[in-house]
Amino acid sequence: MVRFIVWRLVQFPLVLAVIYLITFFLAWVAPGSPFERNDRALDPVALHRIEERMHAQHWYKFLAYYPRQLLLHLDFGDSLSYEEWTVNDILKSALPVSITLGLFAMVIATFAGVGIGTLAAVRRGGPVDWFSLGLSLLGISIPSFVMAAVLLIVFGAKLKWFPLGGWRTPWDMVLPGIALSLLPMAYIARLTRVSMLDVLGNDYVRTARAKGLSRSKVIWKHCLRNAFLPVLSFLGPASAATLTGSFVVEKVFSVPGLGQHFVNSVINRDQTLILGTVMVYSAFVLALNLVVDIGYAVVDPRIDVTK
Amino acid sequence: MLILLGGAMYWSGTGRTSHADFTFINRGDIGTLDPNRMSWMQDIRIGYALWEGLYGLDPQTLEPVPGAADKIELSPDRKTYTFHLRDDGRWSDGSPVTSDDFIFAWTRMLQEPGDYTYLLYYIEGAEEYQKAFAAYSDKRTAAYDAWDAAANDARRQHLTEPPEPDVQPPAIPGGIKASEDKHTLRLTLKHPVAYFPDVCAFPCMFPLNQQSMDKSFDDEARKALRRTGRRTYDARFTRPPNLVTNGPYFLSSWEFKKSLVLKKNPFYWDRAHVHSETIEQVDADDPQWAFLVYDSGSVDWLADITGEIAAELKAKGRPDLRVFPGFGTYFYSVNCLPKLPDGKPNPLADARVRLALAMSLDKKKVVDTITRMDEKPADTYVPPGIFKDYPSPPGIRDDVAAAQKLLADAGYPGGQGFPKLTILFNKESQHGDIAQVVRRQWQQNLGVDFDLEGVEIKLFRTKLHSKSYAIARASWFGDYNDVSTFTDKYLSTSENNDSGWVNKQYDDLLHDAEYDTDPDPTHRLKTLSKAEQILCDEAPIIPIYFYNSAYLFRDNVKGIPLNPRMMVNFKSVYAEKH
Repeated sequence: MVRFIVWRLVQFPLVLAVIYLITFFLAWVAPGSPFERNDRALDPVALHRIEERMHAQHWYKFLAYYPRQLLLHLDFGDSLSYEEWTVNDILKSALPVSITLGLFAMVIATFAGVGIGTLAAVRRGGPVDWFSLGLSLLGISIPSFVMAAVLLIVFGAKLKWFPLGGWRTPWDMVLPGIALSLLPMAYIARLTRVSMLDVLGNDYVRTARAKGLSRSKVIWKHCLRNAFLPVLSFLGPASAATLTGSFVVEKVFSVPGLGQHFVNSVINRDQTLILGTVMVYSAFVLALNLVVDIGYAVVDPRIDVTK
Repeated sequence: MLILLGGAMYWSGTGRTSHADFTFINRGDIGTLDPNRMSWMQDIRIGYALWEGLYGLDPQTLEPVPGAADKIELSPDRKTYTFHLRDDGRWSDGSPVTSDDFIFAWTRMLQEPGDYTYLLYYIEGAEEYQKAFAAYSDKRTAAYDAWDAAANDARRQHLTEPPEPDVQPPAIPGGIKASEDKHTLRLTLKHPVAYFPDVCAFPCMFPLNQQSMDKSFDDEARKALRRTGRRTYDARFTRPPNLVTNGPYFLSSWEFKKSLVLKKNPFYWDRAHVHSETIEQVDADDPQWAFLVYDSGSVDWLADITGEIAAELKAKGRPDLRVFPGFGTYFYSVNCLPKLPDGKPNPLADARVRLALAMSLDKKKVVDTITRMDEKPADTYVPPGIFKDYPSPPGIRDDVAAAQKLLADAGYPGGQGFPKLTILFNKESQHGDIAQVVRRQWQQNLGVDFDLEGVEIKLFRTKLHSKSYAIARASWFGDYNDVSTFTDKYLSTSENNDSGWVNKQYDDLLHDAEYDTDPDPTHRLKTLSKAEQILCDEAPIIPIYFYNSAYLFRDNVKGIPLNPRMMVNFKSVYAEKH
């Protein structure tokens, strides 16, 4: 187990380096300069000076400077489009927002999803099952920008039950949190239901009931633990995606998180910020996948992750 | 898990409340607050709240009025301005504003040029200084790098000092003179410039507080100074609490994409007339969200509305929607080079073809069905009525029959033999819809068919600036209050002449206007009008409509002029609270 973790940790920097290089070159070959702001062409001398200051005259100048800074100081450099802010500043400001919102959404998604999925499995074919199926279908098939806009307009603007979003009070988190949780919740509900049905048919469930344990105790304690495995494998990548922010939900609710930078940095050709967001996201995915693998072993000792 | 969530909430800075007297939503993200590099409207808006140039803006008319200088004299030849700085001019840290602060800012602008450095070229010797300094800096850098390469051995580098290169930095431009007591500034221009007071009010001429900026001048900056001879400041000098400004407000807090708060500058000379104590800019990413927040009443002024939302509100007759003429023109740019990017001969190089295209458009249809903001269809390039006393030329006639004849004369009767060219536009906003209408009209009226190519904005600008297009959507917004802010774009030497159109007569007329010494200012404007008619006759651009702009604010909001330049002087802005 330890060897497995160490081996995975050794792979990390290699994978990240490859991602860095690929991302950099893709961003570099895209046409357009990050320094031109509007329809006016920038004076060549001015452009040259800025490129020089930002180490962005040639791809090799860029690669000679930024990766070194990143390795030595964990510094992604200055943002090329927001001049007063370094990429680290932006990440420091935006990442906590996205993580908080993502955590909130994942809490909703996990509790609600597992709850609905379990009830649907237990009362298979009943109204709860149909309700869960309907909810999951809606959650999976309605694109988040539609869902987010509907939540915003109905519950925010018309009914005024919740604030419109932004990032001032904890209440602001409610609508974007719900919007963000629907998709993972739908998946979790479906996954839980299927694996719960599987587990409910097992012999040990009958045994547990036979020795006199209450139905709810068997379901919530014995069955759920086993039924949770597929959910767990889904939680890893889903958390990575949710915690690093969603462009659509953050835009619709004007949440100052990281999600918007994935898209805006590319539109602005802000190479340093593109690299910053991509590296953070990649690190998240890698780390959470590892956590999930370890989590497997903890939840189900029969799984040998080293093989 | 809940504890984790609570911790994350604290960490991400939620739970702040604000009690600003006035809140508004600006046009978009702030790009920079460094006056050197400001070019976006939203940056310049905040810039006017923080700084004040020698001239300031009149809150109602936005005409230049004495600002940091209270007494201004103009010599009889209209080339020399003498500015007497106010005795009570103070920075937000209480220190006096002196001529040094202006000279520092201007030399910095010339040493580290930005988007609007060219506006300083009116000052005698400024352009030469910029070139001379760049040459000096390059030489110095080369000498340093040569020494650095020779002294690569760490020990030797430690032992030897870099040589002082035998090049000297140029003296500051001859047109800039200051008195001994640092209280008077004298600016001599190359030639009389009617709108120079406007330039003096513009961010590129703002003073800067060197003392506060020097706090961020670290070892790395000193090393760069030794190498290049240039004082390169870290852009972060603009972040509070570092930033010291001389305008009605100072920057109290600025959190990236979360909030920006301006507070009344307690040392500002005209503090008695600064109406709001605190002003907050609310960050909004999405126009729909911005509108809903405004509509909920928590924002006083929405300074940017998309055409779609504005058109919808207009149809509903909303009283708080304020529509007014814009400072820009929407047009199609036509490639006039003899060859197209693919190497084939360019039929648009023939002015008759261009004019035929321009004359056969029903522009009213575009504004009535797509933009729907009561925009005026454009027959000329410069929006009429926004520059005082400027006589707009008749421009381009709408005449389909004449257009068909022109096209036939050029060798394409009924559009026969005309190659299939492409209309280029960026996919944002309504450009695609407009291109559809234009294409159909050309098809119906001239029998000429075009392909449509929508690309994303950066690629679009690259193609436009490198003239890799046949016909492209374009727009131009004026920067300062003079016709030349439009007409200069089509000088043969202009970097912004995206058409590749060259016309000696046009260049000459603009030159005459620039060096016009006639005491009657309308003489110069008439010359510019003549030039504009040439532009219309040759049609390197096809004007479509003049922009309208829109704000949303309720009647309790005072001090926001509906001015085409879309600027405000924040000192007069406030919301009456009931």
